Amino acid sequence: MVNLVIIFFGKIISKFFRFFNLGDGSTWPGHIALGANKNFINQVLKKSKTKVIIVAGTNGKTTTSSLITHVLKENSKSVIQNKSGANLLNGIASTILLHCNNAGKLHADFAIFEIDENVLPLILKEITPDYLVLLNLFRDQLDRYGEINTIAAKWKDALNVIARDASIKQSQKNKKTIFILNADDPQITFIAENSSAKTKYFGCSDVSIRHNNTDHSADSNHCPKCRNKLTYLEKTFSHLGNWRCNKCGFKRPKLDLNNFPVYPLPGIYNKYNTHAAVLTLQATGLSEINIVNSFRSFLPAFGRQEILTYKNKKVQIFLSKNPTSFNQSFQTISDLGAKTLLLVLNDRIPDGRDVSWIWDTDIPRIGNFKHVLISGDRAFDMALRIYYEDYKNLTTYDDLSRAINAGISLIDDNETFFILPTYSAMLDVRKVLTGKKIL
Amino acid sequence: MKNYSLKIGWLYPSLMSTYGDRGNIIVLQRRCEWRGIHVEIVNIDENTSDSELNSVNILFGGGAQDREQEMVMSHLRKKRKQIAKLIDDYLPALLVCGSPQLFGHYYEPSEGKRIDGLGIFDLATKHPGPRNDRLIGNVIAKSQIPELHDTVIVGFENHGGRTYLGKNAKPFANIIKGSGNNGEDGTEGVLYRNAIGSYLHGPLLPKNSAIADWLIKKALGLKYKEEIVLEQLDDTFSERAKQAIAQRLGVQL
Repeated sequence: MVNLVIIFFGKIISKFFRFFNLGDGSTWPGHIALGANKNFINQVLKKSKTKVIIVAGTNGKTTTSSLITHVLKENSKSVIQNKSGANLLNGIASTILLHCNNAGKLHADFAIFEIDENVLPLILKEITPDYLVLLNLFRDQLDRYGEINTIAAKWKDALNVIARDASIKQSQKNKKTIFILNADDPQITFIAENSSAKTKYFGCSDVSIRHNNTDHSADSNHCPKCRNKLTYLEKTFSHLGNWRCNKCGFKRPKLDLNNFPVYPLPGIYNKYNTHAAVLTLQATGLSEINIVNSFRSFLPAFGRQEILTYKNKKVQIFLSKNPTSFNQSFQTISDLGAKTLLLVLNDRIPDGRDVSWIWDTDIPRIGNFKHVLISGDRAFDMALRIYYEDYKNLTTYDDLSRAINAGISLIDDNETFFILPTYSAMLDVRKVLTGKKIL
Repeated sequence: MKNYSLKIGWLYPSLMSTYGDRGNIIVLQRRCEWRGIHVEIVNIDENTSDSELNSVNILFGGGAQDREQEMVMSHLRKKRKQIAKLIDDYLPALLVCGSPQLFGHYYEPSEGKRIDGLGIFDLATKHPGPRNDRLIGNVIAKSQIPELHDTVIVGFENHGGRTYLGKNAKPFANIIKGSGNNGEDGTEGVLYRNAIGSYLHGPLLPKNSAIADWLIKKALGLKYKEEIVLEQLDDTFSERAKQAIAQRLGVQL
């Protein structure tokens, strides 16, 4: 009964925020709901027949969730999703609340939640998902989250609880979580090791051989079990690849998927996201043909390789918020023949206040760019980074709008203007390009 | 023009390279190369011979996750005497983030045993426990390096440990904004002969190029036994980056 009241008021609050255009009120209803009833989430889910998919990891959550949602909808399933950025407990509660019917139940076929890596253990206490997708663990927002080893340890504890509960529930013929894991990430493999849950592994057979050059964004080059340095038969990027530990024998498990006929988005990192989505979709019962056909109509999620038109020119945004996503974005646009680039570096709460991470990026072939423009709260820090790559033809802009317009004026008609922003910068960029208020 | 060259020794880079520490190496290398000074970077780890370590002209150490720092300490102790002598003999060194803790007398975690350091820096570090706030945020300080007295330093700190300097130890810088070593005594880091220890990320050198040039000058001076004048480089970006932080923290430079 309490929940019905909460839902009723939550919806009013949300309408209030939207009506007065108070910006992102998407987590307030949930905040209040949980304050009134801390069991709100699991009570509603228990009543509902909705299947829950949770997607967690440092990079790729939004893209992977979008891929899954798109295909499910193309196949006539109803799906609710939490808004990107609303990936903490409040955001989940809000999403659920806003989609509840008057009987206090969700009636969507699927709910897909992308979850911030630091909050996953907390969420798993409230929700036992039908499908749990673990994409990767990379260095990100060090000032907020501290060390990867700490996060990994917390995930492992949380997963052990699920797996243990799952085996109990199995005997009661209840729901059992299916794990969908990136086997190319030794840390992810270690976290889910010894779990008796049903597991599907994805990886990549794309081989990008790095000659003796440690990818400086690499965090987990050491065996998570015995700490010995790992050996890689192949490496795709950062610490991902076909790994093994020669000391204790821990190695990449056998892959259920490492290739797919259609990739809706370019870049090696998107192969991983695609594989994760495919395994999840197949686990829900969809066939490969259905997935392939649905992929053909996929449009990228906002900010993630989104292509926008501005003043009759093409602009493509690649969210770049930590060394790995920056490296992958940079590599992808280089491969696409980029000549004009705008880097936007902010240090607001969603971006992480410590921008030291930009020095863990690899920026080869910057010399191939005709123009590099820089803007954002920490434009001069980024300028230093580029300057120390021995690239002097760069221009900084205090005003983001001027930076974007400058870039637009520099590109040829058939050329694409590429923008690599951090998260909050991406929202600002979109605001300039679309003239719309954030989210 | 004489052909100068320098060797930079990087302590355990595969274990201790977090928080953009590598940026310090990049800056040192470029600022040398732009002046025609050849630079070689060597890893200093468990496989390094004594003679290789002795041939280093600048020593650099970064930070690591706790587990990795433990691993480094067990190897580094074997080189204690040699490193202590190099530092005593005025080898220029930059040790940031976790490495000053390793070079101090000891590190005391909130739970568990005290970890002995190398005792090269006269300082000790204690971690008050997870209930206490970490010291995190942008920092503005004034250098206490004699040749760079009161030069403004900017950086970013993020540490749980509180470091206390010994009675006769000198700080690297005095805090204007931020917490520094322990949030109490207004000191940041430590300075011993030509060795700098500091908690500052950023990384330290990109925005504080005067420190980079100081290290390079000291290294050349020690190696070639002559006073070398370094060509002035364009430091517009670092000055403006410093200004931007100062403005944000309400400090007039």
